[in-house]
Amino acid sequence: MSSIGTGYDLSASQFSPDGRVYQIEYAGKAVEMSGTVIGMRGKDGIVLAVEKIVTSQLYEDDAATRIFTVDKNIGIAIAGLLADGRYIVDIARQEAANFRQQFERTIPLKQLTERVSAYVHAYTLYSAVRPFGVSVILASWDEEQGPQLYKIEPSGTSFGYFACASGKAEQQAKTEMEKLKFAEMSVEDLVQNAGKIIYQVHDELRNKDFHFEMSLISKETKGLHRLNPQPWYDQAVQAGLAAKNEDDSDNEI
Amino acid sequence: MHKIQSFPEYQVPGAQHQDFSPYESNGGSIVAIAGEDYVVIAADTRLSSGYTIHTRKQNKLFQLSEKTVLGSTGCWCDTLALTSLVNARMQMYEHLHLKTMSTEAVAQMLSILMYNRRFFPYYVSNVLAGLDSEGKGVVYSYDPIGHCERTTYRAGGSAGTLLQPVLDNQIGGKDKDVKNKPKVPLEKAKEVAKDAFISAAERDIYTGDSVILKVITKDGITEEEVQLRKD
Amino acid sequence: MYSHNNIFQTELWKGGPSPGQFYNFPGTNYNNSNTGGFTAPDIFGSKRSSSPITTGTSVIGVKFDGGVMIAADNLVSYGSLARYQDVQRVFKINEKTIIGAGGDFADFQSLKRSIDQKMVEDMCYQDDIDMKPKSLYNWLTRILYNRRSRINPLWLEMVVGGMQDGEPFLGHVDLRGRAYEDDVVATGFGKHFALPLVREQISNGEVLTLNQASQVLRKCMEVLYYRDCRAISKYSVAVSTAQGTIVQGPFEVNQNWALATMIKGY
Repeated sequence: MSSIGTGYDLSASQFSPDGRVYQIEYAGKAVEMSGTVIGMRGKDGIVLAVEKIVTSQLYEDDAATRIFTVDKNIGIAIAGLLADGRYIVDIARQEAANFRQQFERTIPLKQLTERVSAYVHAYTLYSAVRPFGVSVILASWDEEQGPQLYKIEPSGTSFGYFACASGKAEQQAKTEMEKLKFAEMSVEDLVQNAGKIIYQVHDELRNKDFHFEMSLISKETKGLHRLNPQPWYDQAVQAGLAAKNEDDSDNEI
Repeated sequence: MHKIQSFPEYQVPGAQHQDFSPYESNGGSIVAIAGEDYVVIAADTRLSSGYTIHTRKQNKLFQLSEKTVLGSTGCWCDTLALTSLVNARMQMYEHLHLKTMSTEAVAQMLSILMYNRRFFPYYVSNVLAGLDSEGKGVVYSYDPIGHCERTTYRAGGSAGTLLQPVLDNQIGGKDKDVKNKPKVPLEKAKEVAKDAFISAAERDIYTGDSVILKVITKDGITEEEVQLRKD
Repeated sequence: MYSHNNIFQTELWKGGPSPGQFYNFPGTNYNNSNTGGFTAPDIFGSKRSSSPITTGTSVIGVKFDGGVMIAADNLVSYGSLARYQDVQRVFKINEKTIIGAGGDFADFQSLKRSIDQKMVEDMCYQDDIDMKPKSLYNWLTRILYNRRSRINPLWLEMVVGGMQDGEPFLGHVDLRGRAYEDDVVATGFGKHFALPLVREQISNGEVLTLNQASQVLRKCMEVLYYRDCRAISKYSVAVSTAQGTIVQGPFEVNQNWALATMIKGY
């Protein structure tokens, strides 16, 4: 680590001779330190799930939430610096409200993603600012468009996904998700798999405690983005705990 | 404005299309009578405009504190705006001075708040009843732009002009040629207030349905309701 | 907070008026001093919305045993022209609140955009706390009073209903900000035709059942259709109970034209 950068990493407005913008890569490191965040798109619903690492027992359970509502049927999950994330959420809400005011309908997630990623990208261009240390997962569901899922990275690049992950165990979560067939997945399967993946990728040795957080948008939630909705939340936690116990007993053998 | 003045023959006051009036008379009457250690204030519960009765159970007495009640009628939207402003200001006073506003202070404040809108008045008839700092009953009455007068009895609102002479006679003892005005006992004050409303309901179409009567004493505020003509 | 007009401040009192001053709302001038902005005309005088253009007629609201119902027909008129004949004029605001609007429909649509944005912001808090009907009612009185004080009214007469802490709530607000609550309220023509019909049913202090309420509203809509030239036979009903809110309809009123022997085609 000590040899990298070598003077080219002090500003987001300068390339290094080999064509990298170090500030963006450092922002990526901030994301890698964060608890794992996943989003998965099923047949008729979409789920966001978060491994919220508990840094102190003194926090309330719902403190420092990483899943936010942006509009009726749009949710955002944040991996990385929470304060940066909240700011991005605020921007997203403004964009959604602005769209609503102009067109009297909910902003399509594709357009919201474009707006927010343009904003994130702008923060990678100037020496006066630093890039956002967040990876943003946006999810929506509606009758016409069905489930939609996008991820924006600190560089400002964004893509649509069937399933995506960010944070500590991004790779591990992606490996797990590649085993699944999302296109025909029901809401029940979706939340159970979300629970499984988050509980499986949680590293008990490095972070003892975590709080499972998830949100769902589907017909069953009346098309609304709902944080920790019942009964799905319990289903996810049960599936997660079961998967974890299975893993633990494998290790014992 | 200045541009117009350079063309004197075209000097016109501007388009004066004005079929919207911000004011509306919603009727209602108030009677308040103060005694040595009590004050009675009553208001009817009819809210109307023209020949239309909107509701038959609109309370027009606003309890501002343990010792002060404001009766407000006239343009109902102004009443709502004014009373919520008074409440807000009284809360600010309480936070700032850590005590409740005295009746005298409320009376003065009300006058100022109303005069603040001198050129676009609150179109309301206010009667403020309460106990003063010595515990004596007191009545303040106002005109729409904040003129304030301290009295011992007052009728206001749509039947105010109808009822004031009745009170002059029954409470003020104006018919008697006496130096010392008779002290009015509470029971008499209540009866006169009720009778006044029964009479007002006979002749004033904007007063009726029922009357709410509040009695303020050092022991607190009691309330009773008497039914009136509903036609 | 998320709107370009600055009425959505979430911080308490920030950007708010000093007591006695007025709140700013879309369509109001930003820098109005207390007296100056109310009446001062532009150099050639100013014309404000001193009469409504596209209008809805009566709205009727009743409380019943465990809830509130608001009905209005589906017509928005353009003067005497029955211009838009399939428009909802009663709405669900959230699970606790319903609203019905008569008067200038454009004014209402603009106001409703603001209300809807408030509801989205409520959801963003993710605390499952919804705005209650009384809050919306009071907010509307302040908005309407503010606009009437600038002699630039929102030409509306609205009925707000819903469940307030388990109890039915029903209120009425008009273009001046005049507001009152009652067990039955109506706007426009409904005040003259529908109110007596409902009051007749509850005169002995009896509380209507849900069925009775929808029956009496149906009767009201029928009478209004017969006598109000700005009414049509199609109407919708918004219902609020402890279980939530729903907009039902459109329904057709019962019609009996047997007396009108020469008239065909109904």
